[in-house]
Amino acid sequence: MSAIAEPAAGAPGRAAPEPSGTDRAASAGRWRLAFFLAGLSLLAGILLASVSVWFLGAVALAGAGSAAIAFDFHTPGALVRLFALTRTLGKYGERLSGHAAALADQVSLRLTIFEAMTEAPATRAAGWQLSREERLADWLEDVEDRDDERLRVQFPAATLAFGFALLFAATLFAAPLAGAPILVFVGTLLLLGRRAMGRIAASEAALRTARRAGSSELGTALAALVPLAAERRREECLGSALAGFRAAEAARRRQAEAVATLDLAAGFFGPIAVTALMIAAFHAGARGGALLPAAFVGFGWLALGEAAGALSRIVVGRVKAKAARANLAVWTDGIARPSGNSPAPAAVAEIGLRGLRVAAPDGRPIGRVLDLTFRRGRPTAVTGVSGSGKTTLLKTIAGWLDPAEGTVTIDGAGLDAAARRRRVHLCLHDAAILADTVRANLFADGASDAELRAALAAVEMDRRIAEGGGLDAWITQDALSLGEAQRLNLARAFLTEASVILLDEPTEHLDAAQAIRILARLRLHAKDRILVYAAHRPPLSGDAVVPL
Amino acid sequence: MTSSRDRPGPALSFARASARRDGRAIFLLDALRTTGRLGFAAGLALTAGRMIEAGTLEPAPLAGAFGALLVGGAAGWVAARRAARAEAGVAAAVLSQAEARLCEMPVRDLAGRPRGALVAGIQRHPGALARLVVSHAGARRTMALGPLLAVAAIAPVSWEAAAALILAMPLMIVFFALVGGLIQKRADTREAALGRLAAQFSDRVRALPTILANHGLERETQRLEARIGAYARGTMSVLAVAFLNSGILDFFSSLSIAVLAVFLGLGHLGLLNVPGFDHLALWQSLFILLVAPEYFAPFRRYAELYHAKAEGAAAAEALDWIFAPVAEGRALPDAVDARLAATTGLTWPTTGLVAITGASGTGKTTLLRRLAGVDTGAGAQPVGPPIAGERVSWVSTETDVAAGTLSDALVRGTDAIDRDGLTAVAGTLGLLDDALLPGGLDAPIHSGGENLSGGQRLRIAVARMLLATGPAFCDEPTAKLDADNAERVRRALRLAAASRLVVVATHDAALAALADARIDLAAPQLRPEAVAA
Repeated sequence: MSAIAEPAAGAPGRAAPEPSGTDRAASAGRWRLAFFLAGLSLLAGILLASVSVWFLGAVALAGAGSAAIAFDFHTPGALVRLFALTRTLGKYGERLSGHAAALADQVSLRLTIFEAMTEAPATRAAGWQLSREERLADWLEDVEDRDDERLRVQFPAATLAFGFALLFAATLFAAPLAGAPILVFVGTLLLLGRRAMGRIAASEAALRTARRAGSSELGTALAALVPLAAERRREECLGSALAGFRAAEAARRRQAEAVATLDLAAGFFGPIAVTALMIAAFHAGARGGALLPAAFVGFGWLALGEAAGALSRIVVGRVKAKAARANLAVWTDGIARPSGNSPAPAAVAEIGLRGLRVAAPDGRPIGRVLDLTFRRGRPTAVTGVSGSGKTTLLKTIAGWLDPAEGTVTIDGAGLDAAARRRRVHLCLHDAAILADTVRANLFADGASDAELRAALAAVEMDRRIAEGGGLDAWITQDALSLGEAQRLNLARAFLTEASVILLDEPTEHLDAAQAIRILARLRLHAKDRILVYAAHRPPLSGDAVVPL
Repeated sequence: MTSSRDRPGPALSFARASARRDGRAIFLLDALRTTGRLGFAAGLALTAGRMIEAGTLEPAPLAGAFGALLVGGAAGWVAARRAARAEAGVAAAVLSQAEARLCEMPVRDLAGRPRGALVAGIQRHPGALARLVVSHAGARRTMALGPLLAVAAIAPVSWEAAAALILAMPLMIVFFALVGGLIQKRADTREAALGRLAAQFSDRVRALPTILANHGLERETQRLEARIGAYARGTMSVLAVAFLNSGILDFFSSLSIAVLAVFLGLGHLGLLNVPGFDHLALWQSLFILLVAPEYFAPFRRYAELYHAKAEGAAAAEALDWIFAPVAEGRALPDAVDARLAATTGLTWPTTGLVAITGASGTGKTTLLRRLAGVDTGAGAQPVGPPIAGERVSWVSTETDVAAGTLSDALVRGTDAIDRDGLTAVAGTLGLLDDALLPGGLDAPIHSGGENLSGGQRLRIAVARMLLATGPAFCDEPTAKLDADNAERVRRALRLAAASRLVVVATHDAALAALADARIDLAAPQLRPEAVAA
């Protein structure tokens, strides 16, 4: 685990990583450096071409006359070498500093997104969407598009604009007449870019829609493989799902075609500019050495024209970032400051449900009115068939969902949802395993190794974990079976310090005898706490039962 | 320069073969595009050189320059569009192959694959593979041709200058070998650590509800900050070396301009008597100067596509399974196999309710699947009821429910039916007055049926079965139901069995009691006549 940097031990209660003023200032400083280097390398590239051409023109004219011997070729020669090296090093520095700035921004951006998502109501509602790999992949792509926006869009656009402004000023000095055609062409190019952006945005939207539809259909079909195979509808359903992906590839093709058109137009920019300058100067009567300033600026435009090839990438990056921003806003917009999630150690003696009815996802009250009290030391089973609202009731007690009617009281007092969340350990039935060590997965930072091992033994996972490398071995969701994941999840309930423990379907994925053994141990372990569990199997004998 | 190119897997070979024809056309168009650029350089050099040296504006070279520019631009445009088409084509071909494989693979094998990874892979990998075999391969071919064309263009003007460029090549290769080795070493040592760190952010988002439920938010936020930061630092140190690649190319291309400019300048001044560099016209030296960077440009473009290469190679590897030969269905446990073998002698009625009973693990579901013709894999082949050519219905909680309304879900896979019929059937199964599914036939159903409970799904499947004809196979049709709904389903199955064969695999004693015949898989001896009701 040495490769993973851990935060300094014993640094609890760190403030939320809101991008602070100093963070922003540091980020601005990094981007300034990157922009400076980009400008420097662009300038050196332009000057390398300009000075070389000017130098060749000058020596060719000098070589024809008697001035050849007197010509100082050392200075331009040294300049050309200097520009070549500056261009190379500047380019390298630009890449490095640009990526460093982008990565630093990425760290704070991702933390901001993460914190906002922790407060999004969807994280506590039924069925966590991003637990599904294909959705998570889509979502991550959005985050990446958003990460890249500055590096791929704003940064190159600013550099191009800088080069343009410089050369345009030089053009007005060297051959003012050429300014008009250059402006006209740039205007046309921007207009084309705008139109291309429209087409690219449309194909991007089509691509995302088709891809999402395909994923959803394929997921549905794969989950229903047996019925589909039996009913001979497998081909039809899989075909229709994959048609979505084909449509996505077709949209990608349209996008690439729009990019090709933009690239074509951008490719004409340098050639047109250099020609305009030379002809404008020639028509203004410049001949021989007097044409050299025009050649100097003109070939600079040609060098800038090479950099203008990035235009299409800027446009695509902007389109993607915009779409990603809109998608991520669903998670991050209108979220208040994180309210904190540390457990409150206060002991709870009883939880009361007063006229409580839980709410369906659309807010309507469902199920019967509940008026009852859960007491310390009296384990209670909430029973009912699938869909009767067991999970909803547990989440309502835990402060994860709002009730439709009535209140939840703790020791007689009505506590708000956030306060309840801090007093309750909720053992979700679809709990995830973090890609991390076993120790981290147990969420018990204060517990000793012996306590952790005892908890693992209680859920009959001690041997499995010992064989896998012990408490500090790295585990992932895929490495565990459903039953093992469920038992590890129950070990977390053994280790919690909260005085209220709610278990949702604790026996799921376990065989009946093992489930009873583990639940009996947990009941003993939590004998001085409030323990409520949802079950569709018969509960342990002796426990109170609340049928829904 | 990093991946092993030893033996292409089946996915890569397939994609390459599908891209071959377009690849040739794109290559030719790319050659035309490069030629056009070189032609433009010649025309521009001639125009500008003559302007400065002779004081004349000659229309022919200028027209030639723009003609070449147009031709080159058009060729590039067509090449890019052709590449876009080829990529879409390759991706579609890979998708067709995937579709064929998904359709013919045994259900047991397919269901054993992690579904999320499968969907995410089929969504992303064909495109990434297509970009590898079209764009990336095209850039590689152009890398071989572009420099040659540039040298060939310079040679008539000054073969010595062309030779100088060619001589720069071995030097460049030495640099690449040195840096390439360095990159590889650095990347290898970093990869293990980075690979783990890279996934941490999305992993924690995936596990967010669990983190909240365990009061682990503060700790995980801190860790995440440390780990994303460590990842960023690790990435930077890899990039610092990786960018050396492009840096070398920049260096050579910049330096070639600088060196050529000075040499050509000295030649013009008569201070240098090197053949090929003195007594040139201005346009000739301008031309050499303009074309020299073209010599290096294809290398740069190729180096910039390293990302496409890495992604494409990973995609190819991940897609190999859809090209592998279909494996025989996995063997069943011997005990299950023996029990299934004992059922081969059964004869089947055309109507009636047949119950398959027995404890978990005795093979009820396996038998039911085989009877319905799902996975006729290895081992014993029970002779099922005659279902060829008939519509079969399958009832289980797995039934597919698409987004839409309840009535959409009910008519899926069945013949369109009038609304009254739907209302009647849905009513029979208590789907119209379900408090958790308000809205009757217009009740909204989310994508993948996410807002449905297992019991609701089951009842939708039973309703669909009632709307269809032909034999029905039901896997635990009363599990997960409350008493009222279980009774509704039992009545519905009993009614359906009057006109068709209904086979149920069930734990439900009340349902088994209603059956006309029973197959008890737990019984020591199976009686073949058991089914002949």
